[in-house]
Order: sequence, then C-alpha cells, then structure tokens
Amino acid sequence: MAGENAPEQPGGATAVSERPAESALTGWVTIVWDDPVNLMSYVTHVFSAYFGYPEEKATDLMLQVHNNGKAVVSFGSHEQMETDVDAMHGYGLWATLERG
Amino acid sequence: MRDFKRSGPMIRMKLTDYEATLLESLVEQFAGLLEADEQQPDAGDSFARWQAELSGNDPLDHTDPVINRLFPDAYPQDPAASGEFRRLTQARQRSNRLGEAEVVLSALRDTDGGKHPVQVRVIELDSWLKTLSGVRLSLAVRLGISTPDDAEEIDALPEDDPRAYVYRVYEWIAYLMENLLGLR
Repeated sequence: MAGENAPEQPGGATAVSERPAESALTGWVTIVWDDPVNLMSYVTHVFSAYFGYPEEKATDLMLQVHNNGKAVVSFGSHEQMETDVDAMHGYGLWATLERG
Repeated sequence: MRDFKRSGPMIRMKLTDYEATLLESLVEQFAGLLEADEQQPDAGDSFARWQAELSGNDPLDHTDPVINRLFPDAYPQDPAASGEFRRLTQARQRSNRLGEAEVVLSALRDTDGGKHPVQVRVIELDSWLKTLSGVRLSLAVRLGISTPDDAEEIDALPEDDPRAYVYRVYEWIAYLMENLLGLR
C-alpha cells in the first residue's frame, strides 16, 4: 500500500509532534456489517443515495461488506457518525460506530 | 404476468389482488410492531411521544428479536452508550418508519384490492424500499435466518413446511425490491 515506505517523520514533524498523542485518533468511523438479508443492489443504493457516493464507490463498499463481513463507510466527528449510523439503521442496515 | 413500468415520476407495479392484500397485511404487521403502545393519552402527538421516550419511557419490546434487529446496538462494546443512542434516536426512527409504511399502505389501498396497478411515486421510492427491507428483516428473524447457510437450509425445506411459504413470501419481496431498484 502507498505510504508504507514513507519516512516516519515527513516535513513538518515539529508541528506534528507538538500535538497531543491522541489527536490523530480522535476521528470516528461508521461501520456497516454484512447480513444475509439485505440485497446487494439495495445496499449499493443506500450508499449512493445517502452518502452521495458515485455508483462505483458505492458498489465497491457493498462488495467489501459482502466479502469481508464489514466495511468502513464514512468517517468524521462523533456526532456525524452517530447521524450516519442512525440513518443506516433507518435503511435497515446493521451499522455501528467506533473510534477510527 | 407481473409488470413494472416507469413513466416519468411514476412507477406502475401490477399486483394480483392476492398479492396486494398480502403485502398490505405484511406492512400493517410491520407498522404494528413499531406503533407499540399507542393507547397512551398522547397518542398521535409525536412531540409528546418524543418527550416521553427522551425521559426513558421506551414503548418498544426489546425482548423481541425483530425490534433488536431494527434498532441494533450502535456501540456493540458499550451497552450504556447504546442505550443512550437509542434513547435519543428511537422515537424519530419509529415515526419515520411509520410514515414510510403509511406511504406504502396508502398506495396499496388505492389499488382497491389489486384491481388497479400500484402507483409508486419515484420520489417516494426510498419509503418503499425501506419498508420492504424492514418487512424482509422481520420475516428473516421469524424464519431464523442469521447466516447465508440458514437461508439455504430454509430454501430446501419441503413445500408442506409452514416456513417454506413464509420463505417464498420473503423471496417475493426481494423480487419486488430488485424490480423497483432497477427503475430508480
């Protein structure tokens, strides 16, 4: 994957190291889990209708859910992820949030 | 022959009288699960309902696995946070779900028992899909489908098993959804 061979401290390391250690971990993610009920076409539709993802991205996320059992479908603030999880539940998808 | 046809903002879906009646009763049952205790004095007043639920008065039966599937834990490792999430979101979620079910029910009633095709407004397609998906989720819980293997097992049941009929209905709703999705 891109980034693995990158130097540990790219330019601007001073500013980075002055931030509290946790600041890189304060984001949240919404996870959608696979279930045997929801149709693949429907899950793709939900990702594209709610998140506004292009068809290709929505299909890719649906396949990740289907093949890997789950996928991170959005990330951002705690509040935004609660909104997204609530919306996914409204569509009948099994969604959770956690620190990403 | 079944028929799904879109012209502009409207999809026409032909159902037999039997299918229209069946779907109506499934959606009514689904809405019934979410209506819970509408006997309260504030029934019909959604603001009062929200207030009641925000103060921790949960009208839903969370021992029912269908309710658990529709309102899953947002924080699987943290029951307290999941409870708090539910307290803040469930009332609106219920009221949205009931509104969506009403869109479907009112279109089904307009068919006059299947005499006329169902008119699905394209702008209301998500109400249809969410409701049909909710009905399928509840049928799946009743059928005990929690893995793909479960579904295959039930698919292989003999015709005289009562679950075999429910499974056919479950598959038929998937067929309706696929066709509606194809016309969005």
